[in-house]
Amino acid sequence: MATTACFIIVSRNDIPIYEAEVGSAAKREDAAQLHQFILHAALDIVQDLAWTTSAMFLKSIDRFNDLVVSVYVTAGHILYIFN
Amino acid sequence: MVDPANSPLGKMLLEEITPVVMVLCTPNVEEACLKNGLSFVQMLTPFCNFNNIDVPVRTSSDHPYRLQKFKLRLFYASDIRQPNLEVAKERLKQVITQAGEEDFSELSLDPPQIGDFASRSESEILPSWFQFFNKELIRTLSFSDHEAFDHPVACLLVVSSKDEEPINKFVDLFNTNKLPSLLNDGVMDPKILKHYLLLHDNQDEPSEKATKILTEMRSTFGPNDCQLLCINSSQDGPIEHQENLWAPFKFDALPSQHLGCFLNIDDFNEIKNIMQELSSKHIIPYMEQKIRVLNQQVSATRKGFRNQIKNLWWRKGKEDALDSPSGPMYTFSSIESQIRILGDYAFMLRDYELALSNYRLISTDYKIDKVWKRYAGVQEMMGLTYFMLDQSRKEAEYCMENAFNTYFKIGSAGQQNATRCGLWWIGMLKTGEQHKEAATVYFRICGEDPLHSAVMLEQASYCYLLSKPAMLHKYGFHLVLSGDHYKKCDQVKHAIRTYRSAVSVYTETTWSHIKDHVHFHIGQWYAFLGMYDIAVTHMLEVLACSHQSKTNQELFLRDFLQIVQKTGKTFEVLKLQLPVINISSLKVIFEDQRTYASPAAANVKESLWHSLEEDMIPSLTTSRSNWLELQSKVMPKKYKESNICVAGEAIKVDVEFRNPLQISISISGVSLICEHSASPDEMKSDASSSIIDLQHDENKKLTTTGDVNSPFILSEVDLALASGETILVQLTVTPRVEGILKIVGVRWKLSSSVVGFYNFESNFLKKNILKGRRKSQHSPINELKFMVIKSIPKLEGFIHPLPENTYVGDLRHLVLELKNQSKDPVQNLKVKISHPRFLDVGNQDELNIEFPACLEKKINVEKSGVHAKTNNMSQDVFLFPEDIAVLEETPLRWPLWLRAAVPGDISLSIIVYYEMGETSSIMKYRTLRMHYNLKVFPSLDVSFQISPCPSRLQEFLLRMDIVNRTSSNSFQVHQLSSVGQQWKILLLQPVDSVLTSPSLFPGQALSCFFMLKDCKSLTSEDRISSSSPLLGSDVRLGPQTSEDETLFDVSRSPLADFHSCERLHQGPYQQGNQHAVDFILISRLLKDNIHSGASDPPHLFSHHACHCSLASISPISWLVDGPRTIHHDFAASFCEVNLRMSISNSADAVVSVHVNTSDSSSSSGQSSDAAVAAAHSSEDQAGWHDIPVANDIKITSDVLATRVGKSMSIESVSHFIWSGSSSTKVLLEPKSTVEVPLQICVFAPGIYDLSNYVLNWNLLPTTDQGNLGEEKPSSGECQGYPYYLTVLQAT
Repeated sequence: MATTACFIIVSRNDIPIYEAEVGSAAKREDAAQLHQFILHAALDIVQDLAWTTSAMFLKSIDRFNDLVVSVYVTAGHILYIFN
Repeated sequence: MVDPANSPLGKMLLEEITPVVMVLCTPNVEEACLKNGLSFVQMLTPFCNFNNIDVPVRTSSDHPYRLQKFKLRLFYASDIRQPNLEVAKERLKQVITQAGEEDFSELSLDPPQIGDFASRSESEILPSWFQFFNKELIRTLSFSDHEAFDHPVACLLVVSSKDEEPINKFVDLFNTNKLPSLLNDGVMDPKILKHYLLLHDNQDEPSEKATKILTEMRSTFGPNDCQLLCINSSQDGPIEHQENLWAPFKFDALPSQHLGCFLNIDDFNEIKNIMQELSSKHIIPYMEQKIRVLNQQVSATRKGFRNQIKNLWWRKGKEDALDSPSGPMYTFSSIESQIRILGDYAFMLRDYELALSNYRLISTDYKIDKVWKRYAGVQEMMGLTYFMLDQSRKEAEYCMENAFNTYFKIGSAGQQNATRCGLWWIGMLKTGEQHKEAATVYFRICGEDPLHSAVMLEQASYCYLLSKPAMLHKYGFHLVLSGDHYKKCDQVKHAIRTYRSAVSVYTETTWSHIKDHVHFHIGQWYAFLGMYDIAVTHMLEVLACSHQSKTNQELFLRDFLQIVQKTGKTFEVLKLQLPVINISSLKVIFEDQRTYASPAAANVKESLWHSLEEDMIPSLTTSRSNWLELQSKVMPKKYKESNICVAGEAIKVDVEFRNPLQISISISGVSLICEHSASPDEMKSDASSSIIDLQHDENKKLTTTGDVNSPFILSEVDLALASGETILVQLTVTPRVEGILKIVGVRWKLSSSVVGFYNFESNFLKKNILKGRRKSQHSPINELKFMVIKSIPKLEGFIHPLPENTYVGDLRHLVLELKNQSKDPVQNLKVKISHPRFLDVGNQDELNIEFPACLEKKINVEKSGVHAKTNNMSQDVFLFPEDIAVLEETPLRWPLWLRAAVPGDISLSIIVYYEMGETSSIMKYRTLRMHYNLKVFPSLDVSFQISPCPSRLQEFLLRMDIVNRTSSNSFQVHQLSSVGQQWKILLLQPVDSVLTSPSLFPGQALSCFFMLKDCKSLTSEDRISSSSPLLGSDVRLGPQTSEDETLFDVSRSPLADFHSCERLHQGPYQQGNQHAVDFILISRLLKDNIHSGASDPPHLFSHHACHCSLASISPISWLVDGPRTIHHDFAASFCEVNLRMSISNSADAVVSVHVNTSDSSSSSGQSSDAAVAAAHSSEDQAGWHDIPVANDIKITSDVLATRVGKSMSIESVSHFIWSGSSSTKVLLEPKSTVEVPLQICVFAPGIYDLSNYVLNWNLLPTTDQGNLGEEKPSSGECQGYPYYLTVLQAT
């Protein structure tokens, strides 16, 4: 399945520090904002989940249609989000 | 936990799942009712709600319970059918559109803030029409065949008293043709409870007739089932009712309509009584009875172990026969339908336990039969029953989910049911405060229909908002999704509403794509609705979208400009983000007493100018009043620190404009916004006014810029910024009138449609606040505020022709030109140059001289020039003659000399100081600052090495090494001169033999040897009496062609001046060092290499080497003199050779010299080695062999010593010995020469090297020796020079 993935690093204050769109599929024009929307929305889930588990890698915590969000939460509460 | 009956879902269930009464009425009935603006059903509806009916109910169990609340639903028989899906959809759409129109009136208000939501309750946040929409959505599913609770329980037959043959009418009404399909299809039992009602309109006639008909009816249909209803009893016209009972039920009523206007209080009571009686005396008992009957049946056929087994076996057998897609058809008489009816009736009568047990029973049956829709329906009801029982929430939810999934499984047919089920499920979850789960259910019930999805998504978003803690990110996301769906079905107003709510989530976010998306779409949609002003404000947010792709940027900008165009006016925006203004680049250049000749001069650091100016400008303590004092008298104290500028002179402001986009943008009419006031007091009042006011002021003023009377002139700049480009724009404002001028900001026009403003001051202040208390006394406001004083003279200066690039040593003649534009003359000019090595002010008479011919040596040299000029110099400041004044019409021209002294990037700063002729001005003087950058490339590297000549005293060998460091230019060496009379340079060999080629090609190195003669000891008196130290001797090195014949005079003005500068720079001048020699090498650039042709002035290069000293540390020099070749008959005797050593002392002190000769063969060599090593170590006390480059002679002696050692070791036996005294000690007076006799004995013929002697010298300390700290060694040892003696056998 050739879809683009999105990788974002988010700081503690929900500010995106780094963004990257990776993948082989041809880019859709609205992919960037859709990814941002999904990842931004997933922050809510992360905030809930991050404090309930000791695991740092939270796999598939949220999904939108066929896009699945996984998060790696660092000790400093910086998030690496994959889409 | 909320009581389920009081939860929104519970209330709704109690309202919606209630017995249905089918109404059949004649047209006359309707007519009578329509007088009130109501249909018959509508008229009765308000009276079907019983809040306190208090009816005892006994269902299956023996214990009766009482029902308090009860409700009947009345429907016309024609309405009892499944609603048309398309019509329903249309109706829903209408509902949404209507709601959109209503809500939109609020849209021009500020969007709601997130913070507000926390304090508000659910009902306040949720748009009220959601409830209604959901209800409508559920109603689209009423009267489905797989559920029984919508099936009419009773039938109300109504006939008007006006009707002919009312009894027959009653019979006709219940005609199967008109009955709903449910009854005819066999889904429902057609034998239902019938109730007969006679309606009588009191306005038509008195009720006697009606009473008669009633008795007739009673005799026909039974006494209990017939009733009479009299309406329209109001005799005296329409009645205004205090409360509109029908308002909640009739939405499309116009406010002018007086519903029920002919019904008086008696009618109300009558209707109420009839309805109450109907429900409590007929419907409820009927249902009770039916429940009991059905329950018995069910118990008989299905309860018990035997029945269950039978049922299972029977169903298994049936399985194969029935596989039609819709499943088996269950008629009302089938046991399955009856169980279902039993369940539903029990549910309606609130006997949930009974309902549940029956639902469970039927659920397994349906599952086995694989009739999924019915199965799901039963599961749904089970869920609701669990909920109403408030027993197991988990069970309830499980049932709902099961039902939901089952509905989904059956595809599009179950879609509607799934939605209803979902809504009920959501209601359940909401009651349990599970908003998050509710939101996911909302998300799941989004179907293909975008409008439907939009509403569901919006509701989901509110669920996220209401969940604890609020999930704002999800809220925003779902709002945006919903908005997109709304837009898809052209509900633009709803779309805007959702997006506006979303904006409040994303206001502070840095997720740029999200922000852009939201603002861009809101902007677009507002524009779509024609609300361009709001559209523009949103579009402004997305303009600076550097992170977006190029196509998006183009799209944003294009749409923005289109919207702006549609507004039909040039928009003025205070915070236009395009282009970005780099406030830190803001630089204000103005001229008070400091004026600048070029923009480059203005960019030089103020401190540099300041240090240069120090000596020139009058100090504050001088007795005469300077401008600062005057100023303090003239102006109030607080303006003392504000800047001063002169009327008619432009103030320049440099601002950087940056285009963050990948597309180019065009900006026009960039100009400053300024403010002028005549007096300081006026200014003060202006300062307090707000920014907006300033803008209005400015607009007024800007229009008058073309006017002659305007107090200032502004420059306008148009520019086009390519993608990502940053352009520094220089804007000017030229004040014309005295007063106070303030630069407020900058304005520009983007794509000739949007005007942007930028306020320097507010942004400056903001920055300062951010940075904290950093030098608060230097307020930025003052930087932009100027006191304009009246016009005074200003000098303009140029230096020409000053080259940009040159080579080291290049000597040029330049002219400084000063112009005065004003009528008033300026005087008392002074000049100071930052690099006197590079630039030198010449004499006035040199202005028109021909260069370099003027430097050529003439017979009678005039030296007065040098002296005259040195008088003019005081501390590097050149004072112009006092009679020189710069007038308006005649520019002052003054010669300058340039010599590129060292390679590198040189920034030359020149300050011209001048005073105003007119003394009344506030400023007494001004300075003109000129600045030039000079790139100097290396040309020739010249180094000199002086070593004592071994063959002659007072004569030295001079070695000159020249390397051409240029990459392309050839040089022609012209002349080498020594400075001072002490030294004389002589050629060792003819020039032609040294210089094989006339020019020095790039990269070529050349070494020449010269003889340097010390003339001082010979004519020491002459040296002292010499008037100029710069007289020297010259050697011509160039080819002997006619044009280059003349030598240049190094003692003439520019060369001599530059030489003295070089002397200062090239090292500390040592007073007592007579060995220091200065050389000047003059060369020319070969003309062939100059591309510019013959018109170029001849280039002369001078290279100065100063303080070239004798590379020896020893104060003594010696010379061994004697025969070189001797014929001797060794057969006779050994040969004695007499030698003379003359030792000369060049030091100022007495030197004792110890001459040691050593004979020992191998040891002598080693000892001499050791001696050298000792000499070294005495010099460098740490023992490191740090050999300075200058001390080449040491190395030479080292080599000599080793060679001696080698030769010794080979020969092993020395064939000569030193005879005579082996050690001689002499004292040498200062500057004296002593001769010491030496003698050797030679035993065999051969060639002998007589270098195995050592001179130990010792400086005797003198009392008058001033510099004791001098690093010169006080003693040393010198290895002997090689002296070859050839001794031949005489024949």
